Amino acid sequence: MEFEIILAIAMFACAILGLLAGYSVALTLGGVALLFALVGIATGTFSSSFLIAFPSRIQGASIMQSQTLVAVPLFVLMGVILERSRVAEDLLHIASRLLARVRGGLGYAVVLVGALLAASTGIVGATVITMTLIALPTMLRQGYDPKLATGTIAASGTLGQIIPPSIVLILLADAVSNAASQASLKGAGSGVVSVGDLFAGALIPGVLLVVFYLLYIAAMAWLKPASCPPVTLAEDTQPLTVKEVAFGLGAPLMLIIAVLGAILGGVAPPTEAAAIGAAGAVLLAGIRLADEAKSRLAPLILAGLGSIIAILVLRNTMDLRAGVATISGANSIGIILTLLASLVFFAGVAAGLLVLRKMRQLLPALTSATHITSMVFLILIGASLFSLVFRGYGGDEMVAALLHQAPGGKWGALAMTMLVMFILGFFLDFIEIVFVVVPLVAPPLIMLGFDPVWLAILMALNLQTSFLTPPFGFALFYLRGAAPDEINTMNIWRGAVPFIGLQIAMIILVACIPSLATWLPSLAAN
Amino acid sequence: MDPTFFLYLGAWLKVFGVLCLPFFAVPLVTLAFPGLIDRFAKRMIAFLDALSGGALNLAIASALILVLAQLAVVILRYAFGLSFTWLSEIVIYAFAAMFMLGSAAALRDDAHVRVDILRPRFGEAGRNWIELVGTYLFLFPICLRLITNGEQGLTRSWSLLEGSRESDGLPILFLFKTLVPVFAVLLMTAGLSVALKAALRLTGKLPPAATPIEGETGGGHDGV
Repeated sequence: MEFEIILAIAMFACAILGLLAGYSVALTLGGVALLFALVGIATGTFSSSFLIAFPSRIQGASIMQSQTLVAVPLFVLMGVILERSRVAEDLLHIASRLLARVRGGLGYAVVLVGALLAASTGIVGATVITMTLIALPTMLRQGYDPKLATGTIAASGTLGQIIPPSIVLILLADAVSNAASQASLKGAGSGVVSVGDLFAGALIPGVLLVVFYLLYIAAMAWLKPASCPPVTLAEDTQPLTVKEVAFGLGAPLMLIIAVLGAILGGVAPPTEAAAIGAAGAVLLAGIRLADEAKSRLAPLILAGLGSIIAILVLRNTMDLRAGVATISGANSIGIILTLLASLVFFAGVAAGLLVLRKMRQLLPALTSATHITSMVFLILIGASLFSLVFRGYGGDEMVAALLHQAPGGKWGALAMTMLVMFILGFFLDFIEIVFVVVPLVAPPLIMLGFDPVWLAILMALNLQTSFLTPPFGFALFYLRGAAPDEINTMNIWRGAVPFIGLQIAMIILVACIPSLATWLPSLAAN
Repeated sequence: MDPTFFLYLGAWLKVFGVLCLPFFAVPLVTLAFPGLIDRFAKRMIAFLDALSGGALNLAIASALILVLAQLAVVILRYAFGLSFTWLSEIVIYAFAAMFMLGSAAALRDDAHVRVDILRPRFGEAGRNWIELVGTYLFLFPICLRLITNGEQGLTRSWSLLEGSRESDGLPILFLFKTLVPVFAVLLMTAGLSVALKAALRLTGKLPPAATPIEGETGGGHDGV
């Protein structure tokens, strides 16, 4: 074997060993790559021109000027604000109250809220921890089987990765679209994959998974009624008011439908929809907290919500384009009204921010969003240095050759990739795998004739399963961290097993019926 | 203003940077000679952490600007059919500034993801050694490389006071490009503070950090 290839393999091995040491993932990836590059330059096997390109790569369209990735901090903000303002918590409380009388009702509530929360935040850790803290004690008190309770919570928490608008799907879309354009340069595929395509592609598999989970709980309620009894409410519990249900359940639902609808309907690109989502979250949080904050800004925030409707109505009834040469009288009145509505909208958002500030939630929310965003992008920077050096050693060609020669043709190559990603999922987060592994394996797989969107959905489902799998699954770690001590780890592991089965069934289903993932995107494209 | 002034300024900053290099030995000195310069080291930590905090405030401001500017883009495009390059550039610049300036504070607050499978088993001392080695072996070389490799391009950009390629864009592309070395310097200062804390903990001059519990993924709590 050539010396370069040996170095490439050694670099990968060292990176994995280095990662296990527990230093920051982003810096370990970048640091190991840099050390190997320096060794290569010293031994004359690596061209230093690869390293010179590094700063301009950070400044370029793939990181600092990436139009696609602007959606990431905006969705992070939306999720963090919904979590901080307790909108997410209310959602779980109300859903479990509504479904309390049904056998298995708490389980249904957790799955449905997991799906909704996931769609609104896409942050697995936060979802699992929130639901563990709120739902698990209630479920145990009502006599739920600990295995069923923890399995449901962990599995529902990972839904956040597959149900749009999840953040990892945005990152995956970015990586896969780069891979697809590389493949199309070499003459395979059409080469264009957008975030919207991936969101559309993930919708049916995601909803089907929710249905699978619900069916499983229903089956348990029927076969083993003792494992998920209906809830006995305390005598003095107040019935839910219509207002509580409408606001606690309806408002977050509306927000998610609006954001997703705008993206899938092609009204707005994901970045713009994400901004609306963040603003919507601020408005909801403002209304939710206005009473507690004893703030008189509530009407202004409501007006802000109303102004969105006003803008939508005005836009669709009149020609508001300000750039055209002649503007009729009626249209200019429309333009003025829309301008006023926009001002009210911004005032509403500002009022929402003020209420959050008064409740001392604004700064923590913004800090947390900045931390999460920095974390994601530092990994992107470290991983791009890693890929730069790995490519410099010809590692990408090695991976491509390996996949082309895989036993069993293209399906063998796919199975091999999935297995490797599944195992990597035990100790690497979704983001690292997307930034390091996907750019290496996706171009050859697309060259072999797989559809990029379908491939991405399979990868997402695969990783989601990996996070549920004992002993290393991330979701199980988060759950263990937040669960009371009386739940032993073995219960958590055994509880996850049926859901892993459902996940695998879903992967096989999507693998056999590709249109589950590709039908909606093709529909959206027309 | 005359670009040559900035080039002089840059040259002086470089000299200043080289003069600061001895500070990078402080964690090693505190480790080798416990008690010798501990008070100085603690003062340094306070100063460096305040620096990251300042950058974090700027990053948070960028986050707010990002949301508001992107909202303005949406409304202008959707309702009035208007688009402005400068407004889109504000969005991109605020987006980049958010994580380029925020990374240092994320390092300070341990918000970057780690692999935590073996970490709880290394013990307090083991974890501190890993922080020290990681900082010197990985963090500093990456950042130094970023600064030195970017020098040429940055000099060119400042000498032209490079602006946007579009006629209605912002004339501050050179400032945007400066974010890269600023990011590297901030990350190094935050890394220096982390290394100092690890060294002081190893010599028992600082209380141990909270032990990562098994089943808790360290800083990655709010990971995606």
